[in-house]
Amino acid sequence: MVSLSKELMDLSINDPNPGPNFDAFQEPPPPALSSEGIVAQDITQRFLSAAATLEPGEIIKDGFFTLFESVGALEIMDPKMDSGCLAPGESLDDDYDVARPLLPSEVVGIIDQLLSLEMAWHLGYPLSQTIFTSVYIERMLNPAPRTLQDADFIKNGGDGSLRDPMHRALRAYCLGLLKSCFYVNERIKHEHSYEEEDFVTNTYNRSLLETIDRYEIRDEIMEARKILHETRHTLPDEMTHALGFRLEFRTAFLRAIELSELRSDPESLSLPWAQMQGVWEVINKTRHLGKPVPEAFSTKIQRRLASTMPPRPIVQPSPEETYEHFKKLIADGINVLNVLNYADSQSLLNFVLHFQAQKPQPLVYIRSILQNFLFNDMVILGRLSIRQVLDDDLSIVVLPSSLLLDPANDSVEAPHHPRYAIAHQMELFRQRAAQSYLDIFRAFCQNRCRVRRTLFHSLQDWEMVQTDAEEIDQLLQLQTEEKPLVYPPSGGVASHSLPLSSWAYHYKLRLMEWTVQLGFELEIYQPSELAGMYWYLSYLSKTRARHLERIKFFTTHRLEASLATTNINATAAAADGTGKINTASPHPSLQHARSQSYLHVTTLEAALTSELAAALCDLYTALDRLGLMQGTSRQLPYGTDALRYEVRMRPFVTVGLPELPTFEAFLDTVTQPGKQTASLLEGAARAAAHARAGLDRLLHLGSSGAATEVFAVGSLDRWVERVRGWNKAAVAVGEAASTVSKAIVAAGVAAGDDGVVAERLRVEVPRPDKVDNEWWIVPKVTEK
Amino acid sequence: MSERKDSWSDKKSSANQHIALPGKLRYIQYQHSLESQYLPAIRALISKDLSEPYSIYVYRYFLCQWGHLCFMALHPTDSSLIGVVICKLEMHSSHSPPTLRGYIAMLAVSAEYRGQGVATALVKMAIDAMIKGNADEIVLETEETNIPAMRLYERLGFLRSKKLHRYYLNGNSAYRLVLLLKESATDFCLD
Repeated sequence: MVSLSKELMDLSINDPNPGPNFDAFQEPPPPALSSEGIVAQDITQRFLSAAATLEPGEIIKDGFFTLFESVGALEIMDPKMDSGCLAPGESLDDDYDVARPLLPSEVVGIIDQLLSLEMAWHLGYPLSQTIFTSVYIERMLNPAPRTLQDADFIKNGGDGSLRDPMHRALRAYCLGLLKSCFYVNERIKHEHSYEEEDFVTNTYNRSLLETIDRYEIRDEIMEARKILHETRHTLPDEMTHALGFRLEFRTAFLRAIELSELRSDPESLSLPWAQMQGVWEVINKTRHLGKPVPEAFSTKIQRRLASTMPPRPIVQPSPEETYEHFKKLIADGINVLNVLNYADSQSLLNFVLHFQAQKPQPLVYIRSILQNFLFNDMVILGRLSIRQVLDDDLSIVVLPSSLLLDPANDSVEAPHHPRYAIAHQMELFRQRAAQSYLDIFRAFCQNRCRVRRTLFHSLQDWEMVQTDAEEIDQLLQLQTEEKPLVYPPSGGVASHSLPLSSWAYHYKLRLMEWTVQLGFELEIYQPSELAGMYWYLSYLSKTRARHLERIKFFTTHRLEASLATTNINATAAAADGTGKINTASPHPSLQHARSQSYLHVTTLEAALTSELAAALCDLYTALDRLGLMQGTSRQLPYGTDALRYEVRMRPFVTVGLPELPTFEAFLDTVTQPGKQTASLLEGAARAAAHARAGLDRLLHLGSSGAATEVFAVGSLDRWVERVRGWNKAAVAVGEAASTVSKAIVAAGVAAGDDGVVAERLRVEVPRPDKVDNEWWIVPKVTEK
Repeated sequence: MSERKDSWSDKKSSANQHIALPGKLRYIQYQHSLESQYLPAIRALISKDLSEPYSIYVYRYFLCQWGHLCFMALHPTDSSLIGVVICKLEMHSSHSPPTLRGYIAMLAVSAEYRGQGVATALVKMAIDAMIKGNADEIVLETEETNIPAMRLYERLGFLRSKKLHRYYLNGNSAYRLVLLLKESATDFCLD
């Protein structure tokens, strides 16, 4: 361990603001130890003489003393580390009198400060630096109250009608605040989030009124409101309203929390949120009535909490920030309820994707509500089994009206019947894939940085799901007696449809695309990497578009074949009453149509992603050649480009398909040395125009058709907004490419002499928060 | 989040504050015998931009084990401390195969001497020393708002490998930067 020698004290004394002096060597006598079985021995002298042989500052530690431990160490008597260290003349506590009479304006002021602190807590700061800095809250929680009567900042304050209505209102407010914090904290603890990164659930050994019934608290708030109403003649109207609305905000929030546990009808669940929304606006408009009471908040209370941290400053967003954050919290609280209207698995996924892609991202509490809706008790959205959702997804992506998903298979008991074997194999597959599938939803409920990293981890998992699924596919194709088909029809080899592994491959590719796209969003890539990363995105999306074509081919073929046999069998089955193997699932045409629309929209999206990404690759490569990209084409002092490629592509190395290109191949494809700059730019403009036309079609589908057409039930507005942003990006790419092309022509330079163009243009790579869609970083090219 | 730290910041620097040096800076490698002379100055310089100062143990943790990876820039005439870089180099084995990983823990340059390449010179010395120590890779974290620091490292060849949400106590996120020095085996690390 660290040598705690005199040197340490010397250094502390060097501090310009030393704490009260004490001499470390005037030690108290050793305690008289007497315990059975223990022979006490004073080792002070031996320790001191051993320590005397050390150089000042030398460290004696074992192999397990890590940086983490050293960061956790405290320096006694350093006011920034030692929580008990007081400045000369400083008192341990504040002497704020919680029993003093309060003006109505002061109650509003205190409540408004509490609202800001509550929001700071939601944003990720600890209770110790937020709500727990309130002297009223501290007195209410310490000593821990067991009953409603105990929960008061004035102990034995009495509950009679004689009580000061202002104290009563503030107490009721604090009760409601603490109880809602309790539920919020419990909800977040119950779901997946990152402690101290997203949120701090630590309550420092204080109970947030856990044992006090929520209805008792609600009634107490109602009572306080009633009393306010009764005494309204003593106050200006607007003051009575200001106080009343603040109390109403608490009851509405408590009710919203209570209902959100139900996962039932979104309409009724949204009522208290809607009430909060209205009340919040009024609260904001009456803020000016408040008189701040800064002395009712103190950092010193932190010394009383179960924490070794020295007091840290109060974290308090401005009133404007508080207003905006609460407004967003409430809007998201209402919006998240839409997820409960389940339409299909792909709309569900799109809902989660779009909801979480918002900027700023919904707060942790809202994200936890979403997780609770999705996964609580392994019942999806409170009413669907995991199998229902998974089968729904399989039927949309690869297996519309397929025998493999026919629930009737489960009731076949004859072990030699193909349906029996199918049911068994499908169950094996579900067990294998369900967790990985749900993990995608869970991953997207995390903060954006974590989404990207979690998806990287999932990628290895999906690699294995795909492999395992292929084995099951091969067993299933024996049972269904599937005939191989030549694909592509223009001349390939005969292969089976492999529906389950096709499904897994589709998700694996999506995962890969998402990680690259999140890289743009999170500004992971430097401008010099953009050409390469857009090429890689284009490569992945193109691979997926082709894969979807293959799925479509096999699905179409199977359905045509089954339609033919169903027609024949329909008469036969009616005659002999047997369940023939080729009988299709219920609503074959509906399922078929749904799958066709899905494959159409998804193929389009993949192809358009590929197209626009390719355009951006060409554009960035051209800009680089023209010397318009800063920081590229320069020899860096350390490492090599090949090693940097290795770092960047590490997560994809273990992926079998699509194989990661070698660095040399990658470099060649991205830089395209065989192509002239002018033709690169023409290519970029052409691809951007294609993308634009396709995006117009996609938008048309979304705006003219129902949300079901584009699988965005519950999130169509966001879907449209994202596609519009994407479309604007395509327009911007086309414009940038043509600006550069014109400059090349205007410069009148011979091919190969690109340097002159740089003098005519200015290129700026915008940050992700400054573009129309944060997955499309389009350079701004302007003429000088 | 085992290695939380704040880092070199250029926020307060501006051209008119810069002080021209009367001569060439002296760059020296740290050694334990310099502790009493320079440790208080090192702490003062680094904690200037930190809301949360490290205890003396954190400095000693690094300096006692990897003093040879710490470099100081000293004023040409009065030998006062102008800049410092503190690192460590050890096996990182939470992933297989283990790698010899260098870590740039702290970098600070006195505000009035920024913009003169002092930080870059210090980091290069540290990297060279770690290369000599056979490092496979070098990593560090930097605050997302600290653009000058990221530029500095990226100009040297570092890449951002991931973003760390709300990594610092002030609520700011960080980027992890990586410089790979040797081709790694087929296995890799994600975290």
